[in-house]
Parts: sequence; structure tokens; C-alpha cells
Amino acid sequence: MAHRKKNRNVGIIGIGQTKHSSHREDVNQPEMIHEAVSAALTDANLTMKDIDCIVHGNMELFEMVHQPDLWHTLGTGAYGKECIRITTGGTVGMTIACASDNLVASGLYDIVMAVGFEKLQEGHTTGGITNMADPLWFRNLQTGALTGSKAYELISEFGEERAKRASMMYRIIMDKHAGLNQYAHRSFGLEFEQLDDLIKSSPKLVGDLKLIEMCSQSDGACAVIFACEKKTKELSRHPVWIRDHITVHKEEVFQIFGYHKDYPVLQSHRFAADQLYKRNNIDKPLEYFDVFEMYDPASWWAVDWLRDFFQLRGDEHIMLVEEKEIMIDGKMPINPSGGVIGSNPIGATALIRVAEAALQIRGDAGKHQIPKPVKHALASGFGGTMWTVLMMLEKELNWQEADNGGILGNQR
Amino acid sequence: MSKKAEQSESFIVEGKLALPYAYFAGRVGSTFITTIRDQKKIMGVRCPACGTVYVPPRQVCDKDFTDIRNNWVTLGNSGTVVNFTVVRYDDRHLPRTAPFVLALIKLDGADTPFMHILEEVAPENVKIGMRVEATFAAKTTNTILDIDHFKPAPEKVRMTTERPEAGRKAWTPGDEPEMQEKRRGGKPDMSTPVIITAALTGAATMKNQNPAVPYTPAEFAEEANKCWKAGAAMVHVHARADNGMATHEHDRIRATHDAIKEKCPGLIVNLSSAVGMGKTAEQRISQIVAVRPEMASLNTNTMNFSIIDRKTGKIFIDYVFENTFTMLQDFGKAMEENGVKPEIECYDMGGLDNIMLVAKQGFFTYPMNFNFVWGVAGGQAFRAESFIAMMNALPPKANFTTCGVGTEEFPCIMQSCLLGGHMRVGLEDNIRMPNGEFAKGSWELVEVAVRIAECLGRSVATPDEARMIMGLKKK
Repeated sequence: MAHRKKNRNVGIIGIGQTKHSSHREDVNQPEMIHEAVSAALTDANLTMKDIDCIVHGNMELFEMVHQPDLWHTLGTGAYGKECIRITTGGTVGMTIACASDNLVASGLYDIVMAVGFEKLQEGHTTGGITNMADPLWFRNLQTGALTGSKAYELISEFGEERAKRASMMYRIIMDKHAGLNQYAHRSFGLEFEQLDDLIKSSPKLVGDLKLIEMCSQSDGACAVIFACEKKTKELSRHPVWIRDHITVHKEEVFQIFGYHKDYPVLQSHRFAADQLYKRNNIDKPLEYFDVFEMYDPASWWAVDWLRDFFQLRGDEHIMLVEEKEIMIDGKMPINPSGGVIGSNPIGATALIRVAEAALQIRGDAGKHQIPKPVKHALASGFGGTMWTVLMMLEKELNWQEADNGGILGNQR
Repeated sequence: MSKKAEQSESFIVEGKLALPYAYFAGRVGSTFITTIRDQKKIMGVRCPACGTVYVPPRQVCDKDFTDIRNNWVTLGNSGTVVNFTVVRYDDRHLPRTAPFVLALIKLDGADTPFMHILEEVAPENVKIGMRVEATFAAKTTNTILDIDHFKPAPEKVRMTTERPEAGRKAWTPGDEPEMQEKRRGGKPDMSTPVIITAALTGAATMKNQNPAVPYTPAEFAEEANKCWKAGAAMVHVHARADNGMATHEHDRIRATHDAIKEKCPGLIVNLSSAVGMGKTAEQRISQIVAVRPEMASLNTNTMNFSIIDRKTGKIFIDYVFENTFTMLQDFGKAMEENGVKPEIECYDMGGLDNIMLVAKQGFFTYPMNFNFVWGVAGGQAFRAESFIAMMNALPPKANFTTCGVGTEEFPCIMQSCLLGGHMRVGLEDNIRMPNGEFAKGSWELVEVAVRIAECLGRSVATPDEARMIMGLKKK
């Protein structure tokens, strides 16, 4: 909820996630969810009795389970409680965070737990995504979640070598970050010296999108507990405050690309960022934020989207990557967790962005903690067909007074 | 435009979605399904916090969120139908050809039901509450269909199982505080094992009322043995002639007594000193002295002992059952002198007072054993407060059991068990089960008594324990 429309402030007081992995044969879906829920309750020093409402999110039919929220009650702890199920595609993890914020801010509930989950090894991702396309003119043709158009665009704009190297540089940085995160699914131990070899050797999936550049398919769950300002202050020693969030999306079919001459490519990221920063009086997002947990389905998209999210021009985003300023100790650390390329249990993925951004503010990220103080964090979700969700997190509740950097003034 | 023309211009995309999936059952689910497959055993988990037994099992109790994954319990293969439906259409995804029954079955010992196919019974004969048991598949499919189906099961019968005391430590009389004092405080002593007596015949119940009533010595022996297996420590016997009439013939009574002792040597045999209607005092006591059972009934007052229509009040047989003070004295002395412990039958508080008057002569050995009898036409009807008044009037160290005619059998024995007393059931007193169906024998009524004892957490006495409690000498 936009900050100035809020009935009351909302803080994050508990965070839990599973180890993300390609196979979790040892647990079924509710059991895996229970791991994340238990971890979040422990983190918040609460029990299920304290939770007023559960917001459940995952992908539609990815595990071939109808109404999973009911079945997952065994893991979410929703027995006898309010429980809401949300599914908005890849964004769902972020949407449940937004919904939880709205539910608490509205005054309906004091403490809400968002639970995102996926067990991609149990289902067939492309089979599920295929259903999104129009049966008459697109379903038989499309390639599920894989697309090569972004690589084509970047190569067209910046030349083949620079574009490919930027994408692979981003990929290697994410691998290094994932290596620091105990919960991350994939970390190969890639080195920058391997960059050119990887460009040549990694198999191509669609166009110039290579296997190693694509996100993983993971099993995992994440739970985040949101509380009203009063409860947050009572219960949490190091709360993280939700400042604002925005959701932007376009029509639910794939042929959006090239549909309009003025909008030949995905514009929802840029549009969302513009609106969010404008209403929060942030004119230099790259200066303002200390960390960005971005939903990066593939390294090509990630490199391109930096330009949209930070309102950059020309090749500023390429330079951020080339100069390794997106590394954990760089000017704008991107995904210290290793991001979506490192771990992707889809229904949890976007919620993990919020969780990881909040951990950075708390200083609790462990080995992948950014070595400088983190006051302002940004997290994004992507999915749907063309959905963008952005969420801003703050260390201090009175962020306007606490930090004037990048803020034009409090016009409240 | 006709409807047909409209349709002909409507293009329809015929599609088919293929959504393959795998499902990771988890460790708990894996144990459940592989145990069914490999051991033909159905397992559940019990929540240590709330006691709920889940079948199929789960890792977390959804009620209190407790981790319950390691608290396995093995359930039997039989259970009860708690709900069902009849599938009456055919479809590829269905496991059977219609019509077939899908039932929600709650296994014995489980708190949650699960669904399975119910076969070997016509759909119209399926009822909620019916007993069913699992039939395992001959060949595994690695699915829940490794239980092929459930089928109707015979009613739960304890006959094949061990006596209820199996596996527990034998009871011995401890250095217990005065029982009567405890009772007065309103705190019953339920620590003693409960003695269950099966009254096999009486003088009035006939085979035309319930075919399980024994007449011949062999039938008595068979029925007594079944009662012993079910949990009885003692049988109460009115011997019968072959035509079913109550008999005072010494040879027949001895033959009946000995047949029981031969078939079931440990069992206590308690003979009637009432025998039947119209018997003289001599006929009634001489057989006791001749056969010398371990125990015999001693009736405590002269009273109406009639057969009255309970609904209309119409008198069928009017009879006065004579038990004068002299008879109390002579019967009591004869029994004690011959090592036969009297079971003192009190049909009301007056009978109890009568025996306590005679007891002042001092020939009764302790402990005295009383039986409160309810519902005789001529005696008092069962009332909970009357029961407590009778119990409070007992002499020190006395034991009490109880029996009731007809439907009064169950409430009176339950109250007795609750108050630390003992229980008598059997076809002499009552020919029906609590649900109104005919009892298959006195043994089935003994099973009801055993269940009552189990519900109250009391152990069921072995014959030897009963002897210790009642002060009998084994013969």
C-alpha cells in the first residue's frame, strides 16, 4: 500500500526459508512448507497462536495440485485461521508480501504470515506456463518461460561481444554470491577467467539465451511475518519497515512484444519504477538504495532490467556490470543472495527477494551480508505474463528524517 | 441464421494438456505406503500433545502444530464405515466399474478416516457404522491400491483373543486402608481388579427366549468356558434338566458343576441355593452341602418374586419366594460349615438389614460378599442413590457385586464398577445386548462388562485374584 494511504505502518518481524534444492524427496509439500514456517516463527520468537492470518502463494497447477492452500494447512499452520490463497504467476511471492502488508495496514489483522512455496521437481513448469498462451494462435508455438528476444535486443544495441560478456559477467557474479548463501540452490564456483569459455561452451536454449544463463528449477519455501507498528515494536528488536510497493501489469498474453510502436518491449518495470520513486520523492534511486534484490529469471534480462529499475540511460547499466559494481561490495549490490539464477522455487522466489532484502537491513544475512550499513532496500518481482512488483524496505520508521540522501523533501 | 449454420462457422481448437508430475511423499508418507506394500500393515501417527491418531499419517498435527513424525502406531486392518457414497457412473479415472462404493473408513484406534473402495457387499446393504476390514492386493502397484479394497468384517469378537488380564502383573492384596472408610468419603477404591460373574441360566430363562441358554452339562461347560475366555472369573449356575426345567437333583447338579470344572478348572463355580420356584428348603440347601461348590447364593428376605408384564402391569405368575430368618440362619451355617462362601443376595435394603441381624450370631466368615439385585418384580428397581445407600450400609471389609434384570443390567454394573464393586451379567438376568439385539451368549455380555472395566481403567480379575478378594478356598 502506498505509504501515504496507509492506515498504519507495517513491519517485518520474522523470516524463514528452506534450503533450496533440486530435489527434496525427503519431504512432501506441506512438510517442506512447515520447515520455512517453523523457521520464521522461531526467528520471530512466536508460535502459530500469534498468527492471525496466512497468505499462501504458489504457481497455478505447477505441482498438479488443486487448491494447495487447503492441503498445505498441515504445513502453514492455517488450521482454524483465516487463510487467503493468491496466485499471480512468478510475481506471486511479492504479491503475497504486498497483500500481507495491505491486510495488516488496513487494520484487519495485526500479524499476518506470507508463505510462498514451490516444488518444481514434482511438476512440469513449461507445461504449466503453456496454458497461459492463447490456444488459437500462440499455444502451439511458444517456448514456455524461455525467451531469446532480450539477448537479441542487447546484442543489437551494444554489439555481440559486449552484450554477451555483460550477460555472462552478471551470471558469474550471481554464482559467486550464491556461493556465500547457505540456502542457495546452485553455485558452481565459476570464475571470471571462465567467461569467454562459458560463452562458447554453454548450450543455447532459445536464440542466444544459454543454459547457464537461465534460472534454476528449485524446491523450496519461504515465510515472512508482517506485523502492525505497535506489535512490531513490542515483538521485534530489529524490525524492517515496509515503506511502499507498487504493482504494474499488462495484458495476459504473450504477443505483447512489438504490439505497439511506442512500446516495443517490456515497459512495466520502467513504468513501475517511475511511479514508485515519484510518489516517494526519490530522484536518484541508484544513490538512495543500498541493496537491490531483483527477480532475475536470466542474466540477459537482469542486465537489461537494471536500466529500467534504476532509471538509467545509454549503457550505464552495462557499465555497472562490467565494473562489477553490482557485486556484494560494489556501489549497488545486486542479489547478494545469488538471486533467482541461484535459487528459483517460483512461488517463493519473489518473497525470498523481500526476505533477503530485509535480512540485509537487519544485518542478519550471514556470509552474504553487505559490508556497509544497509538502510534502504529495494526488492522486485516479475512474472504473470508481464507483471512487475516493486517493494521498498526501510531500517528506520522515520526514514524521511533519518536520511535525506536522494529525498527531495518530506511533503507529507 | 439457423443454429447449425452458427456452429459450422465457429472454429473450435481441440486440445489436450499433458501435465506430467511426480510427487515426493516425504519420509512419513513413504513409511506409510511402503509398510502397506511390504508388510501389509497400516500405520498411523499419534500426536503426543493432543492424542489424535492420524491415518494416513502426517508430519505435523494440524491442530496444535506439533511435530509428530516419529510417534508411529500400528493400526489393525479393521474399522468402521463413517460415511460412504455409491459411484454410479463410469469414467476412465475411476478405479472400478460402476456401481461401486467409496467409503470413509475409520480404523480401530484411529481418529481420522480415510477413503477406500468397499466391495463384497451390495451397495444397498452398506450402512454407516458397519464393520469392515482391509484386503491387501496380491500384487503391488506401489499405490494406495496395495490395499485392494475393504470388505465387510464380522462383528468384533473377543473369543479368539487372550483374556483381558494377559500381560499384566498379578494383583495381590496390599496393606490397604479400611475400604469402608474410603467409600464413605465418596472416593471409590478402583485399584482392585473387578470380578466379572456370568450368570448362565437362572431358573426362568429358556432356550425359546435365547437359544444360548445351556441345559445339559456339556452346554454349561461350553458356555462357561467361553465366559472365562471373555474375562469372567466366576459362573453362577442353576442346573437344568434336559427339558430345561430347573432341577434340585443332586446328580444332575453335580454333573453340571463337574463338567464346568473339567472344561475350565480355574473358574469359580457359584451354585444357586434358590434353585427354582416351588423348591423346599431341604431341596435347596442339601444340594449345596452335597456338591460343595466354592460359592453359593444366600437369599435374604421373603419377598414377592413374580413375573409381571413390565409395560401393562399384568400379572403372569405370582409367587412368594420364601427366605425366613430360620432359613437364613440354617443355610448360612450349612454353607460356612462346608467351606462354601455365601454370596449374599440383597433385593432391597431390608434384606441387607436381615442378614446383618443374623450375622450377629457370628457364624459368617469375613470378608462378606454381597450382591445387590435390581429389577426383580418384588424387589427394588435400580436407582443410583439406592445403590450408594446400600453400599454405605455394608459391614467393614465387605465386597459387593451387582446384577440387574433386563435393561437395568448395564447401568447397575457400570455404577458398581465405578464405585469399586464388581459386576454380574448373563442370560439369567438379561438376554439382550445394550443395542437391543439378542446376546450370542452370556460371554458376549461378559465382553460388555470387560469394556466397561477398560473404560474406567480397572483391570479384570482372574479367578485366583477373585478368590483372594472374596476370601474363597480353591477346591
